[in-house]
Amino acid sequence: MEPTIESRREPAHAGGEAAASDALEFTQSAPLSIGVELELQLVETRRCDLTRAASDLIALVERRPHPGEVKPEITESMIEVATGVHHRYDTLAAELLAMRDALGAAAEKLNVLVCGGGAHPFQHWPERQIYDRPRFRHLSDLYGYLAKQFTVFGQHIHIGCPHGDDALYLVHSLARYVPHFVAFAASSPYSQGADTQFESARLNAVSAFPLSGRAPFVLRWSEFNEYFAKMRRLGVVESMKDFYWDIRPKPEYGTVEIRVCDTPLTAERAAALAAYAQTLARYLLIERPVQLAEDLLLTYSYNRFQSCRFAFDGDFIDPVSQKHASLRDEIAATMERLEPHARELETEEPLAALAQMARENASDARWMRSRYQLTGSLHDLVWQQCRRWRGEV
Amino acid sequence: MRGERRGTPETPQNHRRMTDFFFLPAWPIAMPQLFWLGVLLLAATALGELLDRWLRLPRILGYVIAGALLGPEVSGLLTESAVQGLTPLLDVAMGIVLFELGSRVDLRWLRRNPWLLVTSVLESAFAFGAVYAILAVVGTKPLVAAAAAAIAVATSPAVVLAVSKEMRAQGQVTERLQLFTALNSVYSFVAFAMLFAWLHLEARGGIALVAMHPLYLVLGSIALAAAAAAALLAALERLGPRGDVQTIAALGVVVVAVAVAMALNLSVVMALLGMGILTRALDRNRRFLAVSFGYVGQLFIMALFALTGAALKLDLAATALAAGLGIAAARALGKAVPVIALAKPSGLSYRKASLVSVGLLPMSGVAVVMAREAASIWPSFGPQLGAVVLAAVLILELLGPLAVQFALRRSGDAADAE
Repeated sequence: MEPTIESRREPAHAGGEAAASDALEFTQSAPLSIGVELELQLVETRRCDLTRAASDLIALVERRPHPGEVKPEITESMIEVATGVHHRYDTLAAELLAMRDALGAAAEKLNVLVCGGGAHPFQHWPERQIYDRPRFRHLSDLYGYLAKQFTVFGQHIHIGCPHGDDALYLVHSLARYVPHFVAFAASSPYSQGADTQFESARLNAVSAFPLSGRAPFVLRWSEFNEYFAKMRRLGVVESMKDFYWDIRPKPEYGTVEIRVCDTPLTAERAAALAAYAQTLARYLLIERPVQLAEDLLLTYSYNRFQSCRFAFDGDFIDPVSQKHASLRDEIAATMERLEPHARELETEEPLAALAQMARENASDARWMRSRYQLTGSLHDLVWQQCRRWRGEV
Repeated sequence: MRGERRGTPETPQNHRRMTDFFFLPAWPIAMPQLFWLGVLLLAATALGELLDRWLRLPRILGYVIAGALLGPEVSGLLTESAVQGLTPLLDVAMGIVLFELGSRVDLRWLRRNPWLLVTSVLESAFAFGAVYAILAVVGTKPLVAAAAAAIAVATSPAVVLAVSKEMRAQGQVTERLQLFTALNSVYSFVAFAMLFAWLHLEARGGIALVAMHPLYLVLGSIALAAAAAAALLAALERLGPRGDVQTIAALGVVVVAVAVAMALNLSVVMALLGMGILTRALDRNRRFLAVSFGYVGQLFIMALFALTGAALKLDLAATALAAGLGIAAARALGKAVPVIALAKPSGLSYRKASLVSVGLLPMSGVAVVMAREAASIWPSFGPQLGAVVLAAVLILELLGPLAVQFALRRSGDAADAE
């Protein structure tokens, strides 16, 4: 549930107070460093419905040293894991897998299952309990059914930037690639017990919020600060956490955060997505292939919708050449441009896996539909998702 | 029929009778017992809602009270024979509860977390020991004390299941409570069956009798459980994943299994709990995932508690209240110690483990049946000890739902937890 990003506790070193002062200071971080946050589903073993288990699970995990960070979320049926800061794909992937195993061992003791996926296929939103803490109560009062329907699970990828201007360049130049991330991660075809016909239905839930969408088109950190100050003076927002943009700068971490991904069904794919983001960022920051202009964003919503609905089969309008192509072809072309950067970062292997996935239309959403076809049972589908998360299928 | 009557009102004979108001019932009106059964359901619903909305108490407490008020002990609107006549309904309701609780037990969990099995065995053994000791101290015959102790091992499946469903509880306290309850009901029954061997030994029965009687009870019930589970899974395989169809199929197999258990003198408790557990354990393709008894289950739970209330022997229990309290306390202590002591290795906080031990308090309505059975087999079990057990059951029947509710609310497992 992403409103939770608001309630997220900031790490002590990250200067969370910056948001409260007048100007947002962009913390310096190592360029092209990466980190991943994953929101995971906790389900019981009988009907595979969401269950309340987060606090017991966290208490059990925390008993012994483990990689990464495990954090509570707005509901007890969700848990968030966050990796440390990495410079290389392989160490990030290793940490994610180690975290998955540590979490899995604890969950086993409690008879709880963990799985990926952008939304639980059949959880019934009126039954979701919003935690009775003032902050969550406020969200629920404000957003009504949106808050409950928002029991969705996403992956957030952080990319380190040396300063704010670079971060803003990255925010806007990455916009073109949002459909790529949506399609690679799409894993929420079912919602409230029905097939939505979407590959990622989760993003529809995100779009309903007033401060979702994309960041304002400003290119200098000083301009961004002016925008932010205006919005605060107007009382629209209190802090950066109130913006649910698809891609947003995270000044207290010194990163750009990509937030459009569903949580994939496997930790491996989550790591591969981070590698893709890192490689893209290197390409964009070093080659600076486009002169940013607001007109490049005219196709943004169209392309994003197409990928949510159809994934790799979606239509993609190139904002520069203004030509239509399938997202599959657009991804293939991008992969070619990324080759030298992938070599440099040693991310060829995960990128090859993603390219193959696009070619073969092997999205997680498709896998889920094919599993459902076999048994006609959404309960069984969740069971299979849990097995997939453990690496068994 | 009706049309026929309407067609013939003009005959002189009919006309004469009309003036005699032959169509009116005799006064006072003798309502069939069915009427009072309907009233019982209404009263139980009303009292249940009252307790829930005004006092935030478990609804099942309202069902028990409504049953007691309408039953032969208090108002007598439902007569003794009417309550007796509803026994089949009670049996089916009990069967459904046991099956559903059993199906919530995941035996694989015991393999993944063996400390749970250790905890479960110890909490049952300690409860047995504590009750046995307290009865032995006051000079009860060993065999009789052991029978009472065996009865005390079981936590009420109906109370645990009904309250956790009512509160839509999910989480470790709920899961463990259901697991321990199902397991200690099984242990309780096995222990009780073993006592038959002891009884036959004392009566100098032949070896065949000593060994065969408990073996028949235990193995026979398990065999029935396995057969019923296999039959249900085979049916579900063919019926497909539709929840409503599955529910009715499950209901049918449950009723058949209850009837067969009774016809073969086997244990309904063991057979139906076992059927639930095995259905879950043998369900390799997860056919059974979708079954949920929903409103039907709710109705049976209501009937179960209302009829239990109607069958309560208040005066008999009142004579042994103090002794009953003693047993209840010893039992509570016996259960709490291992559950709390093994909290850490089994992966739970001390706080939540304490709540699990509170939730284990309700004593089983099954105990009433067992006590009656014991009294018929051992004359020395007698009315007095029967009364003590009944008193303990009464106390824990009324306090039990409160204890479970407290545990589920405090742990945050309940949907309305703070």
